[in-house]
Formats: sequence, C-alpha cells, structure tokens
Amino acid sequence: MLCGKLMQMAAFLCLAFSVESVRAQQKNKFVILHGKIVDATTKDAMPGVTVVIEGSTVGTTSDADGNYTLKVPSGIYNLLFSFLGYEPVVKKFNGQNRKEFETIKLVQSAMELEDVVVTGVYQRKKESFTGSTTTFKNSDLKSVGTQSVLQSLRTLDPSFKIADNALAGSNPNRLPDFEIRGKNSVIGLKEEYGTDPNQPLFILDGFETTLETIMNLNLNRIASVTLLKDAASTAIYGSKASNGVVVVETKVPERGRLQLSYKGDFGVDIADLSDYNLMNAAEKLEFETRAGVYTDRNDINNQMRLDALRNERLKQIARGVDTYWLSEPLRTGFTHKHNIYAEGGEEKIRYGLGLSYGQVEGVMKNSGRETVEGNIDLIYRTGKLQFSNKFMLNYQKTQDPTVSFAEYANANPYYQKYNANGKIDKYLYYYHNDPTGETDMVSNPLWNAHLNNYDKGESTGFTNNFILEWFVMKDFRLRAKFGITHSNTTNDARISPLHTDFDDMKETEKGLYSHSLNKRNNYEGDFTATYGRVFGEKHTVNAVAGFNFNSMKSVTNGYKANGFTEDQFDAPSFANGYPEGGKSKYFETQTRAVSFFINGGYAYDNRYLLDFNYRADGASMFGTNNRFRNTWSVGLGWNIHNEKFMKNQKTFQMLKLRASAGNPGNQNFSAYQAFSTYIFNGWMTNIFGTGLILNQLGNEDLAWQETINYNVGTDVSMWGNRINLTFDYYWKITDPLLAVITTPGSMGTPSLAMNAGQQKTKGLEFTLRISPIYRPHDRINWTLSFNGTHSKAKYAKIGDAFSSLNDAGKLSLSGTTRYYDGGSPTAIWGVRSAGIDPATGRELFIKKNGTYSFDYDLNDEVVLGDTNPKLEGVFGTTFYYKRFSLGAYFRYSLGAQIFNDALFQKVENISTGDIFNNQDKRALYDRWSPDNREAYFKGISLVQKTDKSSRFVMDENYISGESFSVGYEFTQPFIKKLGLSALTLQATINEAFRVSSVKNERGIEYPFARTVSVSILATF
Amino acid sequence: MKNKILILLCCILLSNCDKWLDIKPYDQISEEELLKTEEGFQKLLNGIYIELNREELYGQSLSVEMVEIMGGVYEIGDDSNVWGNYSDLKRYDFGTEYWRNRFTATWNKAYALILNCNKILENIEGKEDMFTQGGYDIIRGEALALRAMLHFDILRLFGPVYSKTPEAKSIPYYTHRTNTPEPQLPASEVLNLIVTDLKEALIALKDDPIITEGTMMSSLDNGQSNFYRYRALRLNYYAVEGLLARVELYAGNRAEAYKHAFDVIAAADRGIFPFVDSRLVIGSVTDPDRIFSSEVIFALTNTQRVKIFNNFFDPKRTTFTFKMESNLLNDKIFGGGSVTGGYQDDFRNRAIWNASGSNRFFFKYADMAEPGRIENTMIPMLRLGEMYLIAAECKGDNLNAGLSLINLLRSKRGIKADYNHFDETLLKYEYIRELYGEGQLFFLYKRLYSDIIRSASDKDNPKASQNIFVVPLPEGEIEVEK
Repeated sequence: MLCGKLMQMAAFLCLAFSVESVRAQQKNKFVILHGKIVDATTKDAMPGVTVVIEGSTVGTTSDADGNYTLKVPSGIYNLLFSFLGYEPVVKKFNGQNRKEFETIKLVQSAMELEDVVVTGVYQRKKESFTGSTTTFKNSDLKSVGTQSVLQSLRTLDPSFKIADNALAGSNPNRLPDFEIRGKNSVIGLKEEYGTDPNQPLFILDGFETTLETIMNLNLNRIASVTLLKDAASTAIYGSKASNGVVVVETKVPERGRLQLSYKGDFGVDIADLSDYNLMNAAEKLEFETRAGVYTDRNDINNQMRLDALRNERLKQIARGVDTYWLSEPLRTGFTHKHNIYAEGGEEKIRYGLGLSYGQVEGVMKNSGRETVEGNIDLIYRTGKLQFSNKFMLNYQKTQDPTVSFAEYANANPYYQKYNANGKIDKYLYYYHNDPTGETDMVSNPLWNAHLNNYDKGESTGFTNNFILEWFVMKDFRLRAKFGITHSNTTNDARISPLHTDFDDMKETEKGLYSHSLNKRNNYEGDFTATYGRVFGEKHTVNAVAGFNFNSMKSVTNGYKANGFTEDQFDAPSFANGYPEGGKSKYFETQTRAVSFFINGGYAYDNRYLLDFNYRADGASMFGTNNRFRNTWSVGLGWNIHNEKFMKNQKTFQMLKLRASAGNPGNQNFSAYQAFSTYIFNGWMTNIFGTGLILNQLGNEDLAWQETINYNVGTDVSMWGNRINLTFDYYWKITDPLLAVITTPGSMGTPSLAMNAGQQKTKGLEFTLRISPIYRPHDRINWTLSFNGTHSKAKYAKIGDAFSSLNDAGKLSLSGTTRYYDGGSPTAIWGVRSAGIDPATGRELFIKKNGTYSFDYDLNDEVVLGDTNPKLEGVFGTTFYYKRFSLGAYFRYSLGAQIFNDALFQKVENISTGDIFNNQDKRALYDRWSPDNREAYFKGISLVQKTDKSSRFVMDENYISGESFSVGYEFTQPFIKKLGLSALTLQATINEAFRVSSVKNERGIEYPFARTVSVSILATF
Repeated sequence: MKNKILILLCCILLSNCDKWLDIKPYDQISEEELLKTEEGFQKLLNGIYIELNREELYGQSLSVEMVEIMGGVYEIGDDSNVWGNYSDLKRYDFGTEYWRNRFTATWNKAYALILNCNKILENIEGKEDMFTQGGYDIIRGEALALRAMLHFDILRLFGPVYSKTPEAKSIPYYTHRTNTPEPQLPASEVLNLIVTDLKEALIALKDDPIITEGTMMSSLDNGQSNFYRYRALRLNYYAVEGLLARVELYAGNRAEAYKHAFDVIAAADRGIFPFVDSRLVIGSVTDPDRIFSSEVIFALTNTQRVKIFNNFFDPKRTTFTFKMESNLLNDKIFGGGSVTGGYQDDFRNRAIWNASGSNRFFFKYADMAEPGRIENTMIPMLRLGEMYLIAAECKGDNLNAGLSLINLLRSKRGIKADYNHFDETLLKYEYIRELYGEGQLFFLYKRLYSDIIRSASDKDNPKASQNIFVVPLPEGEIEVEK
C-alpha cells in the first residue's frame, strides 16, 4: 500500500523532470554573456548571485567580485538574477542587447517576510498594522527543533502554550492540547464532545484546516507561520477567532531554473524516566510487611501460608531478584523524515512538486507513526488573471501499544519477568483457596504484551485548494477561492482471547476486535475584493470585503466482534459473534457556516494607524433563535519613530504603540447541541408499534460564546536592531460562557448545553531580544532572548450554575477544580491541612474559621494553589559566526502549584487493591509511626482513606532544556564538488533535561522522551 | 461579466443562507421532523409507555422488586451470597452505594419521561388540525395523565409521610421543559398539581372510546392501527379516574376519592371491567388468567414480562426466590378464617400461589400456556379491586361503612363468609391479597403510617418511622428558591 503510493508519486516527479530536460537540449549555438552584479544602493559588488535562463537548468553564480560569465545558447529568452533578500531581476535577452547585461543592479527586497503580516485573508505591512501578531520563518522554526511546527512555536512564542500531558507523555499519536493566551471556555467540554473549545483556529494557505493536518505537515514544507493574538488581527475570522489563529503558509514555487532540494531529519528518542521514583524489591517487600499484607490474625493456616510466601520472596530478593520493569516496553526510537521539492518555471507558469516521507518510532515498542505526503503546486499567470492550485495527497499509518506503560510501573520488582524455563507466565502471582473460592492474582504485563494484540490506524486523504485572482487594476484585486478536503481513516484494534481481561468470560466471548471507519468531507469557498492605495503620499488606504462559506461533514461507522479462539488467528472472520447487546455504531455530524466580512486599514503618513473589522457569521450549530452574530474590532496605532521629532535620533529604529478591542467568538462546539433529537427505543415494541423517546434535549436559546478582547502593546527596536522588545497587555471577558452542565436528574436530562456566567482573563506577555554582538554583514551575531507570559483568570456571575460539577468534584477521589464566582479556572481547591498530629498520627485539618479539627469537612474547602504559573516562558541564546550557528533555549516556569498525584495515590491512599502494585519510594519513608512522630505522611495503612488536603499541594518551579542546536552551512567550493548549490547541517537536542521543585510522576500511560536529531538541507 | 456572475452568486447564496445553515441530523431524528405528523406524536407517546417498562420503573423497581421489598412483601434472608444487596434494603439501608444508585436511576428515568410528556404537551399546542378521530385529545390527555402518574409515584417514594407533614419540602413538579431546575415544592402543592393535571386529562379524555366501546382488547383483522384500541393498556378515561381516586385518598380527600372510585366501579358494572370469570381461575383450570385481566383498568404491555417471573419468582431459581413468609401466607393472608379474613378457597390463592415441595410460590407473573397472548405481557398498574378497597375505605367516617363493598369484592373472590366488621388490619390484609406483587403495599403503609406487615409475628415487622418511609433525594438535586 505504502510502497505503491511512493512509486506513484516518484513516477510523477520523474515525468515532470524529463519534460524539462528535453526543452533545455533543443538549442546548439552559443553566446557568452558577462557582467558585474552590484547592490543598487551601496553599489557594492555582490558575490554568489544566481544567474539562470528562466525555465531551464542553464545557469551560474557570480564570483567574489560580483562578476559572472554565462555561456548561453543563442535565441530569445529571459535571464533571471536572484539573491536572497533582494528582488529578483528578469531581463529579456533578444540576441542583440548584450550591453544591457554588463551591469546588473539588484534592489533589496522592500518587504522581508517578517515585515509582513499574513492573515490568510489579506496581507499588511507589519509597520502599519495595529494587531498583535508574530511571524516565524521556516528557519526560525527549524532552529529550535524538527519535531513539528507546534513544538517549535511553543519555544518561540510565550503566548503559544502546549499543555504537558502527564498521562500521554510523548505519545507520537496523541494530539496535544494547546492554546493561545489561555483558555476562554469551561474545561470539561472536550471530554463530552471530543472537540477542544480552547483550540485556536488553523489556516493553511488561506483555508481552514485541522490540528491533525498541521501536526502531520512536514516542517520543511512550511514557509512561514503567523500567530494572530488580539481582536484586531483575528476578527477577520469572526466567530471562530476567540482562541487566536495560527496561519501557516507553505512554500510557493520560485521562478527560475529547475531546482531540486532535499531536506532530511534524523532523530533518536529516548524515554525520560527521571520522574519515576519506584521502590526496589526489598523496599516493596518491607512496605508490604509493614502494611500487614503478610499478617492474618484470624486464620492460622493462612498466616502460615503468608509467612511461607514472604520467606520465599525474601529468599528471591536475597538471590538478587530486583526486576526493573520500566525498561521492558521501551526502546530507542528512530525517526527519519525526508522531503524532496522540485520547483521552477518562468513568467507564465511556475510549478512545484514535493514528496515527503516520515517515520516516527515512539519510545514504547509497537508505537509509531508513518506519513507520506505528495504535493503539486501550480501557478499560472496570464494577463490580469492568476490561477494557483495546491494539491496535496497524504497517507498516515499509526500504531499504538496495547499495554499501558502504567502496567509496567505497577509490576512489583520482586517478581521475575520469565519463569525457570525462560517463558512468560500469564500471572506473576496466583493464589486460589479452594474451600472459600477466594482467588488473588497479579497478571504479567509481558504476557498481554507478547500476545497478538494491536491498535492501528490508517488514513488517506487529499486536499485541493484553488485560487483565482483577477488583478482588475493596479490597486484593486478580486479573488475567488475554493478548497476541498477529503479523508478516510480506519482504526482496527484487537485484543487476543488469551488476554487476562477475558479471564472471567465464557470461551465463546473471549477476544475483541473493533473496527471503525471515519470519513470526512470539508469544503470551503471564499470571494474577496481587495483594494489598496496611497493618496497624496500620506494617506494609505486598504480595504478587503468578502464572503465565505464552509461545510464540514464527518461520518463514523464501526462495529465490534468477539469470540476468538486462538491468539494467532486475528481476522474478524474468525469471530464467533458480537458482544452481547452490541450493535453497529454510527455517528454523523455536519456543520455549516457562512460569513460576510469587511476589513479596512488607514494610515496617515505611516504615523497614525487605524484598522477595523466587521464580520457577520451564521453557523448551523447555533440555535435557530440565535443563528447570526456580528463581530467587530478596532485597532489604533502610533508609529512614534516616524514622527518628525524622532527623525534625527539614532536610538530608536522602531517605537510603536498599539491598542485594539473586539469581540471574536467561538464555534468549537458540537454540531447539534441546540437541537432536541429523538431515537427509537428499539429494545421493545408493542401492540401499538414502535416508539421514540427524547435522546438529547437541545437548547434553542443557546447563545454564541464571545470574548471581548482588549489589547495594548508596544514594539520597540533600538540601537540598530540590537535591542528588540515586544510587550502586550490584554484583558478578555468571555460572556456568556457556554458549557455542558450536569443538571439535576429531575430536569429529565443528565446534562444540558447552557450559557452561564463569564470568565475574565488578564495577562501580559513580552519578548525581549538583545544582541551584544550584531554584525549582520559579517554574519556574526550573538543574541540573547527572553520571553515570558503571565495571566490570571476568574469566573464571574456563574452563581450556582455549576454546583453539580462542584459537588461531583468534591466527592471524587482527586478532583480539585471548582467553579465559583471569583475563583480561577486553574485553582486547586481543597481543605487546608496542619499536617500529621505527632501524637495520634491522624491528619489535622484547618477549618474555614482557622480552628483545627480531625474531621475532614468539604465545607472547609478553600483555594490551596493555582496550576497556572505566575511567570513562564523561554530564555535562550543564539550565536552565529559566519557559517556556524549555536542555539540554546530553556523553558522556565515559576510560582505554580500542583496537586501531587504521585504522593496522593502512590504514597497514601494505597488500598488493598493497590498494594499488589509497585509504589513510590516515599510510601515507605517518612511515614508516621510511634517511632517517627514528626513524619509528613500518615502511618502505613491499607484501610485509611486520605482526603484532598493542602499536604499534597506543592509549589512547582521548573526549568527544562527545551532545545539545544548546532548548525553549519557549508561553503561554496566544497558543496560545488558534491554537485550542490547549498548544504546546511544542524543537530538539535530537545527536552534534554527537566529540573523541578516537585517530584511527581509524569508520563503515566506513555513516558516522556528526549529527542536528539540531525537535519540536512541540500539544494541541487 | 465575471463581476456580475459573482454578484449573482452572492445574491443566491445570501437568500439561501438560512436554509443552507439549517441542518437536520441524519443519525438522529429531529424534533421538527418527528412532530410534524400525527404518527410522530403517536410514536412519541408510545415511546413513553414502552419506556415505563424499564427496570428502573415499572418493569422491576416500582412493580415487583425494589418498592415491594420496602413494603415487606417478600421474605428476604441475610446471606449476601444469595440475596446480594436485598438484605440492605430489607433493613431500609437506603444509603449504600448500590441502593443510592438504584433510587437515583428510578428518579432520573421518571423525570426523563416527564420531560418527554412535556415535549408532547408543548408541541401539540395549537396543532388540533393535524389530528384525526379525536387523536389530539387522546394524546394530550394521556400525556397529562402520564406526567401526573410519574410525579405521584416519585412523590410517594421520596416525599414525606403525608399524614404527618403535608407541608414538608418534597419533589419538584415539571409542567414544562425548562433550562433551569424547578423548586422542590411542599407535598401538598405537588398533590394539587397532580390533581390539576389529572382533572385536565379527564376533560381531554371525555370522548375516550373506552366509554362507549369498552377496552377493545383485540386487534382488528384488517390490520389497521391499534392506536385507539387496547384501551386498558393505556391511560384511558377510567384509569385517570382511578388514579384520581388513589391520589385523593393519599391526599386525605376521602369524599373525592370515593366519588372517583365509585365512578370506576359504576363503569365496571356497566360491563367495561367485568370481574374475572371464575371458570378462568379455579376448578381444574390448568392455565388460569392469573392477573384477572378483565379487571385491569390500566396495565403496561411488556413483551419481556417473562423475565420478571424468571428473575424473581420461578421456583426453579438456584439462588433466591421472592415469596411471602409462609406463616403469614398460611395463617393470615390465605388462612386464619374469620379472624383474618383469609381462606384457602380464595381465587387469588388458588390461581396465583402454586405449591412446589413444601413451599408455595407466587405465580402472578407466570405466562399463560398459549404464547402470544396479550395477558402474558400485562403488568397491572391499576385494578378494579383497588377501587373497591378505596371506595370501602372512604365511604364513611368509619371503615365499617364500607362493609358491603368489601364483602361484594370478597364474594367475587369466591369467599362465602362475609365480614361482619371491617378495620384497618383487615384492610391491609385485603390490600395484600388483592395487590400483592404490584408495587402498592409500601405506599399503603406509608399512607397509613402503619407498621409494615412482613411476617406473621408482629415482632418481625418493621415499625413505622420516618427512616423507613422516606427515601432521601438523589445527590445533585439542588434547592432552588421559588
């Protein structure tokens, strides 16, 4: 399957090349052109400029003095002179005008990529834009890592946060949760619907796309990424924009001779288990002994058995048995990704053909991801019309481990992996008491892992985006876009009948095979008119108006089958039947949205700036009573550096103040929550026929969640770009919140989508870059960077709306989130603890009124901490010396608190069931006993329940080595010998270390990984 | 030209926007789609009746199992290997996780169906023209009655002992679909709302075909819809009257209760609910009509009813079997003669209690031999016998005033010896004889604030107390101010 796809794509590429080479061979007479290439302003000679006949492979580069000589076949054609950072020059050679080629002047590009804000709908010069945005080029992204664009963004921009997933660790198939400038929606919705209401909007080449597409996108294909953060920049996306927008642009084929480039990334992943603090065999046995596992005062026979068991284990330990289970499911994961891109073309037609392949091996065995991507980019321009089309074909294959990492962490170290014969036993421990029927057993994780189980997925899809632009006049342009995306994803999971899960089941019901197929069809269309003109040299006017529609449809269909007899034969045809009561599952969701928008910008003398947006949105998922909604935003800016009084100073190259306000909304909600729907009660029919009952109670009055968003900021650049500072302060009010609320049963429905209350967030973020050494012309540059963010959120006007969630949280074992007016969404709630009473060993609680009590009372809950750090961000340094570069980035987080689950569940709260699992070392030490009265933890006990108290809330400060890199760009003579025109090598280490003030297990089901990678960039 | 096409396109899109955005789910049925035809309303109503057969409601908890155990109906042992969680319920230990969940499930299911009733009532408003054959009134009347009945049973289970604290906070009453919880009302207010709903239902059902045609417990040969037939399987006009009698008695309005019970008795006398034919229940009958189906004013139809017998009453069961304490059965209920009013010849004894070995087992829910009979699906919810009991209790200030009514009922049960006096103990015994296994006895004791009759020996009978009669409200039910 995979091979076939690769072959097809390769064949396509070959065909494209051969056409090119035939063209180039047609001429046979030659003319020699030579001349000098200079910078148009400085008149300096320019070495290394590429000179080619447009649309061919015939070309050269200028020498150290800027001179070039090119032997060209006679005829009429265009010569193209190009150099990075300069506007390319195209000169027509008609066989007579050799003189004109003696001096070629190149002009520096007016607009560097970072000087332009790309919103996906329109582009603006950054200097005259009032929104809060940041743009990163491909080289910025790659300089900090090669894993994915999202990981790189996280290092580069403080407002872009990826939540560390303590459960899923570095599972390559797990899509991360992340947010721009914090969460605006109530947590808990994701669990309900699988869509994350806090996820930003993704735009790929002007079209809305999914997180998964962005994750899969080969980093080498990306030209730039722009983060839109405040209302002025996001409001063009109206009701989808309140979580911020990530605009990704892929590379556009360059005009010029056919150029082939290869980019490769090779990496190694190693599991990071430093957060695990598990007992060794002797410690575990000691712990069990103290917990009374080997004591039975009521039954002398059992006591004898337990004594024998303990002695046997002691003997094993003395013999040296101390099994390290954690290493068992792990491996060193190798990752390699390749991208080949061929591009070229001439005035009318430009083309790009790409092929990417990537294989990621997770650090757990049987865990990985394979992606293949082929793309064809075509641009055709004739007169005032330009047609561009981007086509992308992709294929992914995923595999997940079937035994969770937690099961290995749970296995006791005094058990052995293999029995005396070197075979894997099903149980590490098995005890059956015939008379009472009592059975105790501990299953061997290796047993379940060695069976023929699997969990795999496969996905194929394509995207085609077509853009037609009509340059009606110099300053007026019309554009029509249409994009279509289709994908098919299948998931197959199988659990062998020999799996211990099925021990208690009938032979005919063992084993489970599940299959599901998901089809997605999205399309999007867009018409825009763009106008931009400067009047009287001082008035710059920009305007964009348009109409957009999109539709998304997803259908999932699947079934389960059981009753397999053999481990080996796993085809679903060997199943005996379906699980009892099992029926095929089928879900379909469809959403549609339309919008009309206007954006305008006005700048007076490039000093005073004004931007405004208006957008009307309609979406199918909102109640019929609230179908359309309006979004607006206004942005103001002042370029102080352009003022007259600043003209003669050298300190500030840029000093800009900006402010914006607007009310973007959120559409990341389930498709049908506004509708009441009914289903057949198929379990019974009667003499009157079939019946239907309410399946979901809709809320027709559901109002759109919108976030009023204010932002003030400044951009400063001083002393010839040696100091750069961007600072933003924002406050946001989400009103109303939309949440699925657990309702009292008497309302007839377990939950209801409702509008309730507000969330207010205030925050600031900054990025500071200082370059003590800044000599761009010599390519010597040393930069220190420091970014950070701080934010604070609280609920308001929610009243009792969430009281059922609060009650559920109070009663749950470790739920510490509460919803109260004035409370923070990230606060940790619980009862204050005064520690363990030295006299009795019982925990002493502090009541609300400050008095002490042994009684745990839920009414005494207060805020014990906040998981949101006071300040977090990244600091780092980069150093360029000629062709050599070094980079180091460290993530820091200060002033957060966490509820330490490892302490709560693996030190205390170890129940009779958990005692058979391995535990945290701290469960043995620092426990209260009459001999150790000043202990932090309660005495060892299997029956005592520990409640959520401040004893488990800890201050967390950490620093981690997020990215270290070293790179080298090879010099011309050397790479020429290799037949290349450019070659860069870079090595990166990601997540090298993490030092934290708290020891808490991370990566419970899948461990975190450290990554070392090398990347190659070669252009032919 | 292109410009014009664009503008035209925009215009078309604009005008169709709203339509384009109106997406109907494909894998579920939208309300708009369902409730635009009469059949849709019929199906939704039938859906509610079907759902009443769930285990959380009258398929188990509120008919033969949970509420009957609370009523001391069965002899329950203490060995948890055999009896599981039933031993806890026998001790009225409502707080265990298992029983808390069970009560919550019953509560949630009842209110979920109340919401379905409210959906019917809200959507049917103003759609009279869509219906034929008086379907509008029938559907509306039945939905009102269902709403009242469900609230009433939830009130009887979770509400206060009404005779002691009628004004105590009880349960919320939902008369419409809302996005916010309704307040918990005093029991008296809830009863008022129940009566209001039932009276409105009675008006809506004034042209119920049962009044002229009877129960029509058969299908037509021509394959036409049964929607207006099998009236005893739906909340018909008399069922609503019967419910009113039951509710008014619970509320202590004896005169009203008598009036409604007597209306039903009068209709029965007109031949609509004839007493069971003795030939169907005694003698050498091998296949008796054990539920006395002709007397049933309202029953659920449950095609899986056989599970009830198999899961609880079948003598062949290997773990527990639900049955009456044998001393109580032999010495008081169907023995004891004139002292207790219990006679072995009682039809209800001979038709329903079968001996197997030394024990006698409860066969009310055993199927009749002929498969596919409608009787084999019936779970009685309201029967004529209860109307006689209510009428007898309410006829005068003194129970003796109802003597003639009670003797009439007993004679129809094949008991020749008339009572010469009637008191509360005899009343309770009559209830046990008539309504055993039908989920009414716990509510009887709660209404009378009387000890629960579980055993022949008084010392084994749970004493009346708030603790045993009042089930705590589920967690998550919150106090809302009015």
